[in-house]
Amino acid sequence: MKFGKRLKHQIEQSLPGWRDYFLSYKELKKLLRSISSASPPLERGKAEADFVYLLNDEIDKFNSFFVEQEEDFIIHHKELQQRIQKVMENGSDQKDYKEELAKIRKDIVNFHGEMVLLMNYSNINYTGLAKILKKYDKRTGGVLRLPFIQKVLEQPFFTTDLISKLIKECENTLDSVFPPSESAAGTLRGEKETLALAGEGIFRNTLAALLTMQEMRRGSSTLSHFSLPPLKFPDSDIIHTLQILPPIQIP
Amino acid sequence: MEAKPALSVQRSRASQLGAFGTSGAVPPSFPFLPTSVEGTYAKCSDALRVSLERESMQHPSSVVSPSSSSSGAVGHIFASSSGISTDLQFSSQQLEGKHPRQSPFISQSTNSGESVILPYSIGSKALQSSTSSHCNNQNNGSWCTDSLPEFLDFPATAQSCPLDGSDSGIVSIQSEDLSKQNDWQDWADQIIIDNDDLTSDLNDLLAGANVAEPEPKVLIQMSKDSINYSMLQPHASQQLSACATAGQSPSSNTAPAKQRMRWTPELHEAFVEAVNKLGGSERATPKGVLKLMKVEGLTIYHVKSHLQKYRTARYKPESEEESSEKKLTSIEELSSLDLKTGIEITEALRLQMEVQKRLHEQLEIQRNLQLRIEEQGRYLQMMFEKQYKPGTDLIKGVSSTNEYPSNELTDAPPNSPPQEISTLEANNSKGGDSTNLATTYSETSRPVAGNPKANDAGMVESPSSKRTKVDE
Repeated sequence: MKFGKRLKHQIEQSLPGWRDYFLSYKELKKLLRSISSASPPLERGKAEADFVYLLNDEIDKFNSFFVEQEEDFIIHHKELQQRIQKVMENGSDQKDYKEELAKIRKDIVNFHGEMVLLMNYSNINYTGLAKILKKYDKRTGGVLRLPFIQKVLEQPFFTTDLISKLIKECENTLDSVFPPSESAAGTLRGEKETLALAGEGIFRNTLAALLTMQEMRRGSSTLSHFSLPPLKFPDSDIIHTLQILPPIQIP
Repeated sequence: MEAKPALSVQRSRASQLGAFGTSGAVPPSFPFLPTSVEGTYAKCSDALRVSLERESMQHPSSVVSPSSSSSGAVGHIFASSSGISTDLQFSSQQLEGKHPRQSPFISQSTNSGESVILPYSIGSKALQSSTSSHCNNQNNGSWCTDSLPEFLDFPATAQSCPLDGSDSGIVSIQSEDLSKQNDWQDWADQIIIDNDDLTSDLNDLLAGANVAEPEPKVLIQMSKDSINYSMLQPHASQQLSACATAGQSPSSNTAPAKQRMRWTPELHEAFVEAVNKLGGSERATPKGVLKLMKVEGLTIYHVKSHLQKYRTARYKPESEEESSEKKLTSIEELSSLDLKTGIEITEALRLQMEVQKRLHEQLEIQRNLQLRIEEQGRYLQMMFEKQYKPGTDLIKGVSSTNEYPSNELTDAPPNSPPQEISTLEANNSKGGDSTNLATTYSETSRPVAGNPKANDAGMVESPSSKRTKVDE
């Protein structure tokens, strides 16, 4: 039940256009319950078929969404690079140079965030699938899990190598165009300001995703060999600071 | 073998051959059909369907399966043309899982565990020579230019006709000579060129069918079971290397002609180049771009949608960020909160980057762990299937580590043989995995055909100690 809640929370925190494309975990669980409750073999068979059908449908949904987003990211990535090139070429005497550069920086950071969110999307859906399949096997005594998850591993939505590469390229671009000279200068602000910084939008979503992930790995009741160990951040990590703060909306 | 009256795609198991046919008038005089083709010739009656025939890749002979709309026009065309290239070869093959292949364009469709990979490598020398000669000479002009795009032109008609069952038309053109991609491209180019002239003819032929656009589209209809198209273009040179689409979509599509293509940065580069050559994103047309790009398997549909996205991205770079999909970021809010200084904005961005980088890192780690868990599960499954005998050599490594997973006794699946037991409780530091493996396998090999409890008991060392270990 906990995953369901956390998934729901994550969905609420995610970008509006994305909310319909997450795993229908609840529905799958409902189907699972109906499988258990259906005793005549015909009913049961049908319920099981429905379950598998929905699973496949979900995977399809993930794939389409993911590939769509990926395509957008590829285009956007190239665009950003071209913009940077243009600004660099025009030189620093351009009057809008600083503004343009600042804008580009913001865009890159947000773009980076979106891509990371897509990876998070991929991962959370995968996790959900793995969980529901585990439940299925447990409830029905079937052997659906292993072969099915093997298939899932090969799906486009789970093969996130390209996105990962783009993310790293983004980071490199950022580091090269905006050398991190001021990174050390950042002292941690007061709590209110930090939360204010998180604000809405992409930053908030990535933060929420991170925290959710930590929550999910905190230690489940059904820890097994398939469970992942809890996330551990070094103490000095910024996350701890941000974590204490309740997710209040900024008016 | 399939004796359906209509041509249909047989998404087949390994040994099954699809029925294959043309209109009744053709068979006797059709010199190009290889004898190895099994099946009866049947009338095309339905919406565009192409029957697939499973052949080996080395099979030199080729078969042309016409597709037709409700009119028998195509069949007629086929009947009238005797100069059809012998080298068009349609085949469907079934492969399990992911197979990197020489064919540059692979689409897969699956149906509850089956996977069918349709190699879409095109281009054979003979094909090019014959078609080019034909097309040039217009010997059998009616076929060369008309029916080829016609058979490729699925969705226009298919979408308007319900598909029968779960089969749908898939065209896979496979060439024995995969390196001759350029030939196909030239041929396709010719088709595209010639189609301009014969648009009206095409329209006549497809009377009754839904031709959405005046210009003929080279489209490929996807099966209902959602075939993935994946294209890889590793080099700037227009060579498509082997690519295996990782995805198989096990479900059936709701949309009958849903195509999914996976773009890559390299492909996009080629796209941008082509667009620039044509004078920019506003002036470039999908057809022009498609021609310039010369990428096998790329359809105008793909190019069109990509061009649309491209245009949006270029002319609204601001709204990309501020579209309704995305809320304003913190920076906007900051400025409204009167914290407008450059340093603070920078600081906020830095913070944001921190979080994002962290999230990315953790996601990568998590993903790798998940992969490894499944890998182990699969390995163990294999071992059980091989009926590994217990109590042999692998037990040696038992005592070496105490990195045992904490097994949930109640959680173990009641069915024993595919005991997906793996020790994968790697710490964040990812230490000691190899030893884990060894001990796992030894442990699980002991209790043979499954006493789950015994398994688990053997595996559960001391959950509490494990947890404390992790918590350190």
